[in-house]
Amino acid sequence: MTWGRLLTKACTSALLGALAAGCSAPSVGQFVPQRLPDEPTFSPVAELLVVRCGSLDCHGKIGRNLRLFGSAGLRLSPSESPFVPLCDTAAEVSQDYDSLVGLEPELLGGVVAGGDPSALTLVRKARGAEAHKGGTIWAAGDDSDTCLVGWLQGDLKPAACARGVASVLPGSTSNALLTCLAAP
Amino acid sequence: MRAPRPLVLSLAVALAGGAAADCDPVVDDAVAKLGGEAAGVPRGPLHRPGQPCLLCHQDGIGNPQRFTVAGTIFQTTGALVAASGVQVDLIDASGASIGIVTNAAGNFYLTPSQYDPTFPVQVSLNAAGSRVQMQTLIEGNGTVEPNGGCASCHFDPVGPSTPGHVAVALDDGGAPP
Repeated sequence: MTWGRLLTKACTSALLGALAAGCSAPSVGQFVPQRLPDEPTFSPVAELLVVRCGSLDCHGKIGRNLRLFGSAGLRLSPSESPFVPLCDTAAEVSQDYDSLVGLEPELLGGVVAGGDPSALTLVRKARGAEAHKGGTIWAAGDDSDTCLVGWLQGDLKPAACARGVASVLPGSTSNALLTCLAAP
Repeated sequence: MRAPRPLVLSLAVALAGGAAADCDPVVDDAVAKLGGEAAGVPRGPLHRPGQPCLLCHQDGIGNPQRFTVAGTIFQTTGALVAASGVQVDLIDASGASIGIVTNAAGNFYLTPSQYDPTFPVQVSLNAAGSRVQMQTLIEGNGTVEPNGGCASCHFDPVGPSTPGHVAVALDDGGAPP
């Protein structure tokens, strides 16, 4: 074998080695854990999001991002339909949680750690601070905004969530969906 | 200067095509799926009950008159029997309201000059003294067509993405949600 061939072989091996190292997954210790908002307390927030954002012509429609499942919109199970069963199921709440935390996970971690909530597109769109087909959904600091932001930062305010839901349900106190807020 | 004949012909064909379609394949496909007119029912206020009115009744070139809110009301959830004479009451986000009565096919429709709402809109039905309130708001954010059309969300069969056609009563006589 000539020196030239040997050199070519060595360079090829080195290049392949570098590529293999570059494409390999990080070791366990190298993963940076993301801080996520609290899932067990998400239910009132899910109810708020479904009622205010998840109608069948908005985020309760197949094809939209931030897909939301719940009684007042798109159901998760093929055997269910809007309002049947009346309240959001545990599986729907779990799916809504996954939809939300999957939007901007890195930024979300910062907000959960106490950063500015408006770093999240979700928060800005709801506040009307960014282009949104559905327009401004709520204002910064109102009940609905307080519900979402409070939960994101580990301080859920259920009463604010309930008021946020009730504020847009036709029929006021006679709306059957309100009974779901009292359900465990 | 005269344009070459083939160019003029191409433009004419393109314009004629534009008048027959929206140049939006999603909308065109959705319209095609509706099929033709029912036998014996001419185009007009009584045609296509239960179909998504605003799919065609929008501003596209060659489309029929634009509706802002339109739909069909049926008597019960279990059958497609038209509910005529039902008053559909609408209140929009600015508080503007209107009441419109369904025709013999159960259809109702509003043009921009009659009512051009700021979404979201609340809707309730009043039939023979009983009132049915829709439990959620019409947000007006359709992905295929502008969403003042009931049948954009209310279609059959009932399933995860639809509560079924709009009705004033359940089969057992109760009020639908």
